Amino acid sequence: MAIINLHQLTYHYPLTDTPALTKVDLNVKEGEFVAIIGPNGAGKSTLCYTIAGFIPHFFKGDLEGRVEVAGIETSSSTLSEWVLNVGLVFQNPFNQISGAKYTVYEEIAFGLENLGVPRDEIKSRVDQALALTGISDLADRSPYSLSGGQQQRVALTSILVMQPKVLVLDEPTSQMDPIGTREVFGVIRSLAERGITVVMAEHKMEWVAQFADRVVAIYEGRVLMNGKPREVLTSGRLVGRGFAISRYTSTAREAVERGFWPKDLELPVTLDEAVQGFKK
Amino acid sequence: MHERLSFYVKRDSFLHGLNPLTKLTLAFGLTFVSFISPWYWTPHFVILLVIIPLSLVGRVQREYLNAAFRLILPTTGFLFLMQALFQPIGKTVIFQFWFLDVTSESLSFAFENASRIFAMVSSFTLFLLTTHPSELMSDLTRRGLPSQFAYVIISTIQIIPQMQSKAQTIIAAQRSRGLDTEGSFLKRISALVPLVGPLVFGSLVEVEERAIAIEARGFTSTNRKTSLREIRDTGFDKFVRWLLLMIALVVVSLKIWLS
Repeated sequence: MAIINLHQLTYHYPLTDTPALTKVDLNVKEGEFVAIIGPNGAGKSTLCYTIAGFIPHFFKGDLEGRVEVAGIETSSSTLSEWVLNVGLVFQNPFNQISGAKYTVYEEIAFGLENLGVPRDEIKSRVDQALALTGISDLADRSPYSLSGGQQQRVALTSILVMQPKVLVLDEPTSQMDPIGTREVFGVIRSLAERGITVVMAEHKMEWVAQFADRVVAIYEGRVLMNGKPREVLTSGRLVGRGFAISRYTSTAREAVERGFWPKDLELPVTLDEAVQGFKK
Repeated sequence: MHERLSFYVKRDSFLHGLNPLTKLTLAFGLTFVSFISPWYWTPHFVILLVIIPLSLVGRVQREYLNAAFRLILPTTGFLFLMQALFQPIGKTVIFQFWFLDVTSESLSFAFENASRIFAMVSSFTLFLLTTHPSELMSDLTRRGLPSQFAYVIISTIQIIPQMQSKAQTIIAAQRSRGLDTEGSFLKRISALVPLVGPLVFGSLVEVEERAIAIEARGFTSTNRKTSLREIRDTGFDKFVRWLLLMIALVVVSLKIWLS
């Protein structure tokens, strides 16, 4: 049963002639982890904003086609209703801090206060969410005193505490150093293991290959490929189109030409696969 | 990065336990009385017999006196000087300074005004030292203040230090590319121009992202908001608020009667 249904989705930002998305069809099943990849400007963030309801409720413009999440159509819902089903985490962790709260604990409770959840339930849900993302030790700190990776984990927890059916992550580690990236992907890994429906736009292919059930490649606002991670991430169709390609895939592709990698062996995406392949 | 973003000092005291609205009413009440009272000594009475003892009750006397001597006294001292020198009132010249006549009337006017402002800033300093901003906003929102308005106030308080830190980063970036930010006053002012663009436009982009972030957390939800913090409003709080209102009315009546 698909929880996300996009049918023939075309979207123009206000005052633009070129569509940011063109006739996009996408179905995501409940519990599935779908990664969206594409070069800069391909439409990944636009797709994330559309699933998260910010298009057309926040960004106006011209939307055609159908967007449906958990059986509700975006056009027949308000943004405040929509966010109960879909949570959005985006690139800059600093800008996701509300600025209205003085501790991480209060920051995470902010969404539940807005929804009118009773105090006792707020406390138990915040405690659970903090434990889930492993940041209970940061509870009394000021959100502004944290590192980028810690702030992004706070942003993720702030959304998870609202218990959305779908989690949309728009390049959540793009502004992070390797330590911050590892911290955030650690949380994403535990979410994937718990079977939460996740749509994640991401450039870091080694990580995508580890989590995603399916990868959708977007190019110039259209779906270029939609399939199993390995099939998409190692496809020659991505080459020369500005897609980020795993360094292990590129190295092995080069090695095939020089005869160091067997032609009948699949190209690797992760370090482990590359090591195994080169051993052979 | 700044860990402490407000004046609030966490202590366990009677003053901390009062309802935020009671403390806000107290700050406004003391200010009102200091300004409206017909007697010149009222602000001094307020400072010495109300604010300083209350700072002891609230266990924030060190922080209050620190602010009083390092911030409030220099500011009100400057105000006193300006008004004493430039206020063109009175005929009883005490001394002349360059082309300025300092009269006994301008001196007493300046002293009275500086004392009132000292009392006003002290009242609000004491209020800020003992009131958590989140509690204040939650309480005011519960009493009908629009949540958007509360958000603007509280986020502005928090975002100012962030803007300062960002401005410093931009200045460092511009200096590393050869911008001269030292020298005469005019030169330093002109060096601020390249700072304005990145700071203002950068902040506008941030405003949009922040709006998305709070929308994603149900900020515009029509449900009645709840609060993580339990804010007490006791019978004593109500009594204090009514008492302050009565005092304010008495002072207004005295002012009218004596004038």
